Amino acid sequence: MSKFLLFLGCTIPTKQYSYEISVRNVLPKLGVELVDFPESGCCGFPLKGLNKKAWIYMSARLLSLASKKGLPILALCNGCDTSLRKIKDLLMHDKDLREEMAKLLSNEGVKLDINAKVYHTLEVLHDFVGVERIKSLVQRPLKGIKVASYPGCHMLRPSDIPRPEDPVEPRKYDSVIKALGAEVGYYPDKGGCCGATLLPYSAKHALLIVASKLKTIKEYGFSAVSTSCPYCMEMIDAKQDAARSEVGDEDISIPVFYLTQLVGIAMGLKPKELGLNLNVSPVEGVLDRLGVSLYE
Amino acid sequence: MDSRILNEVRELVKPHSPQYCYQCAKCTSACTATKVIPEYKPHLIVALTRLGSVKGLMESGIIWACTECWKCSEYCPQDVAPVEVVIALKNLSIAMGYKPPEDLKVMAKNVVELGYVSPPIEVLSKEFEMYGREALSLPELVKPYVSEGTPTNLKKLLGGVYE
Ligand code: SF4
Ligand code: SF4
Repeated sequence: MSKFLLFLGCTIPTKQYSYEISVRNVLPKLGVELVDFPESGCCGFPLKGLNKKAWIYMSARLLSLASKKGLPILALCNGCDTSLRKIKDLLMHDKDLREEMAKLLSNEGVKLDINAKVYHTLEVLHDFVGVERIKSLVQRPLKGIKVASYPGCHMLRPSDIPRPEDPVEPRKYDSVIKALGAEVGYYPDKGGCCGATLLPYSAKHALLIVASKLKTIKEYGFSAVSTSCPYCMEMIDAKQDAARSEVGDEDISIPVFYLTQLVGIAMGLKPKELGLNLNVSPVEGVLDRLGVSLYE
Repeated sequence: MDSRILNEVRELVKPHSPQYCYQCAKCTSACTATKVIPEYKPHLIVALTRLGSVKGLMESGIIWACTECWKCSEYCPQDVAPVEVVIALKNLSIAMGYKPPEDLKVMAKNVVELGYVSPPIEVLSKEFEMYGREALSLPELVKPYVSEGTPTNLKKLLGGVYE
């Protein structure tokens, strides 16, 4: 049994509830024990443009709090995963920065400790649970569904720190999808960006990015998309309507699932146990083909 | 030429090194933002930074178009990490009194006050019902700070950016 601190971050516990629901219901069934970590709020990633030190500080404190608990972190969000690993790396190589952060943290009674290990959902599924184990638990194979994996920027980059996926040739994501009985495949710019960070500056241009990504995925014959990042989900699932009207292309419409939702469907869990009624994109079509009713 | 800018950027982007840029523009050919906003060009941003001529970038706010996708940094043969240069310019622009996009200010204010970028919201389900954490049987969300020291530290670091 592997045991992890459930690191929720910002977007998941305030908005992207289906990710949290599916993680809480699916992972324990795969032998993963989740320990609540209520201190795991904002990791500071969204603050880096305003003040890089504020970002470093927020991640340094969360690494320290996690280290004290003596358990590895399971980061669900690509942003949190990148943030924690990047700040750990920066602090490891910069004594002055360590001293500065240790001083700030002492103001709140926390001792700087960056030893906590950091893992992403994909790693827990692929490296800890393992593809064979997942395969053996499939009750409802996702036959005939061709799924485009959408790892998202910060599962792959920056690549000068350890990443959950191979930054050059991502394979783990597709091997988990294949284990569920679905098809996988290539499309251009698979490691591309969802545009979420562009939103505050220009929503219009962020939507152009969403539109072009989804259009490419459809052109390559996929019937669904899967991501493991709440920011990507927010863009490619929830903003399809907006992207469609921005570019005036009716064809921009495709079901999007969290990876943990796909694993749960294949394991025979009920749609509500996976929060599928909260996905905004048209997931009903895929569920129908598998003989699953959203409302069962 | 303002060499102070280059020095401050160098400090913020450590261990990367903007001084080794040879203007190959590989960063710009990989850039996510350039594809939708052609006037945004990371190689030019690096060049202007090296010249210390960044007023225009800050005044126009174009630096906030960067999606922080880190592609430029992967493609750069000189370990410049243009994305880090842009983040440094964003930081410096705020220190110099330029305003960030409004939504970022709101996010920062929420992080200081709540510990999250936004308060928990209710979302619309496919059955047209509104669901919050409680209705979804998710544990109640608590303020993630262990003491008042956290928001105090954070306020100090962020200055008055979100006022
Ligand atoms: S890729 Fe690197 S060296 Fe080439 S222009 Fe961009 S920053 Fe300069
Ligand atoms: S991080 Fe910014 S500058 Fe670099 S490629 Fe992405 S959008 Fe362009």
